[in-house]
Amino acid sequence: MPELRVVDFGRVSALRSQTLWHALAYGVSRGGPPTLSFMRPSRPYVGLGYHRRLEEADIEACREAGLPVFRRMVGGGVVYLDEHQQFFQIILPVGSVPRSRGRALRQLLSPAVTAFRAVGVAAEMDDDVEIVVGEAKICGHGAAQIDDAVVVVGNLIERFDHAAAARVLALPDEVRAEVARLMERFVAATPADSAAFRSAAVAAYGEALGLEPAAGGPAAYERERLRELDDRFRSEAWLRGPRRPDPHCAQVKVRAGVFVVCAEHERSRAVASVVGGRIERARVSDPELNGAAAAVEERLAGVALAEVDDVLERFGAPGRRLAAALAKARLVG
Amino acid sequence: MSASGSEITEVAGFEVALDRAYDPAGHLWVSMIGPDRARIGLDALGVETSGTIAQLAFLPTGEHLKRGEAFGSLEAAKFVGPLASPLTGTVTATNDAVVADPALVERDPYGAGWLVELTVADAGELRDLVSGADVISVWFAAEVEDYRMKGVLAE
Repeated sequence: MPELRVVDFGRVSALRSQTLWHALAYGVSRGGPPTLSFMRPSRPYVGLGYHRRLEEADIEACREAGLPVFRRMVGGGVVYLDEHQQFFQIILPVGSVPRSRGRALRQLLSPAVTAFRAVGVAAEMDDDVEIVVGEAKICGHGAAQIDDAVVVVGNLIERFDHAAAARVLALPDEVRAEVARLMERFVAATPADSAAFRSAAVAAYGEALGLEPAAGGPAAYERERLRELDDRFRSEAWLRGPRRPDPHCAQVKVRAGVFVVCAEHERSRAVASVVGGRIERARVSDPELNGAAAAVEERLAGVALAEVDDVLERFGAPGRRLAAALAKARLVG
Repeated sequence: MSASGSEITEVAGFEVALDRAYDPAGHLWVSMIGPDRARIGLDALGVETSGTIAQLAFLPTGEHLKRGEAFGSLEAAKFVGPLASPLTGTVTATNDAVVADPALVERDPYGAGWLVELTVADAGELRDLVSGADVISVWFAAEVEDYRMKGVLAE
């Protein structure tokens, strides 16, 4: 049976908690064996999804808190990582992974669900390919094709500092408070035994992929790439990332289907929490609302996104401005 | 007919523009819009297998790249992947509209949802692409069948 290389790096520096598995991905791309790796950062830091603007992180707050910021090659948003999160990465040659991204993610996260269940966590994969218990996400994931390898990363969250995770986001205070409120509800820790989780993940990925797990370490080529990746990830140019357009509005995705949006149009401003395609809570302002803001907010609560324009139309010109503001949000990703 | 006026036909349940060439590896189309200038976009299968596109980023204009090198990147469902160029050339234009609104690629992949334009450095590479209406139709139908057989697409 072909081998699944298992590399358990244990506790590593914040930088190496990113660059080690990127180096393994380059190794797998070059013909190295399929690999399952584990690590946990020795200290808190902030990670940026590949396409995210650096300005989405509150760099000043990160500096004050002594949090380094690193851009990763997988997708997703601005995330807070610390020593209470056990990270895993499954890395495979691109040719062995379904071409459909959705199917690839589902296939490569399913063994993680099995591992969660093996350690007593009632995990399920929902229709958005989030690993959840109830309505709360319990595993932050991301994926990328790196040269000719595909890597899917995830974590066992033993403890989660919701306040710290919200604090590193560059948002107005009222928006950050709303993000924190939704994080408390939709992002949950599952304090399982991490050694048992690692063992269960090794067994589950080996079984699912038809591979024989075997302990291993980075090859010479991967050690070379590691040094180059260390330099790259510390560079200003890499941290700045690819060219991005100026955003039309501020929005934060808490988990799939759960967003907080803060948008302005002319003199109108709206902060809306969106859960499952409906506005759960809204705060609005417009100088022409003449004290009707509370009525607008009450009327928007529970409204499906497709019906927002119709509801706001009843409030005349300020309603149309608020609709134009909310239309700037793109609730995907 | 797409918004750009291209002739669109349906092949195996997907829309395909027959007036251009295709790169089978990346499911990208290539349309010559000048003697040595090519416009590139994602075809319907490329769109389908990407899922809902959340982010697109492209190299800046003036960047030279070889065939197979990435002219940009695409993110869907927190999955980032390269957009590999089907041709060697220099990036002369990028579509800011799809960067601002990636859903445009899904709405009009053969028209307003184009990705980049290149000055083609080696016209000989065009011969490696799938072209000609009949050939495209047969190739695309076979691709759809293969994707369905492998479970990439729903039956």
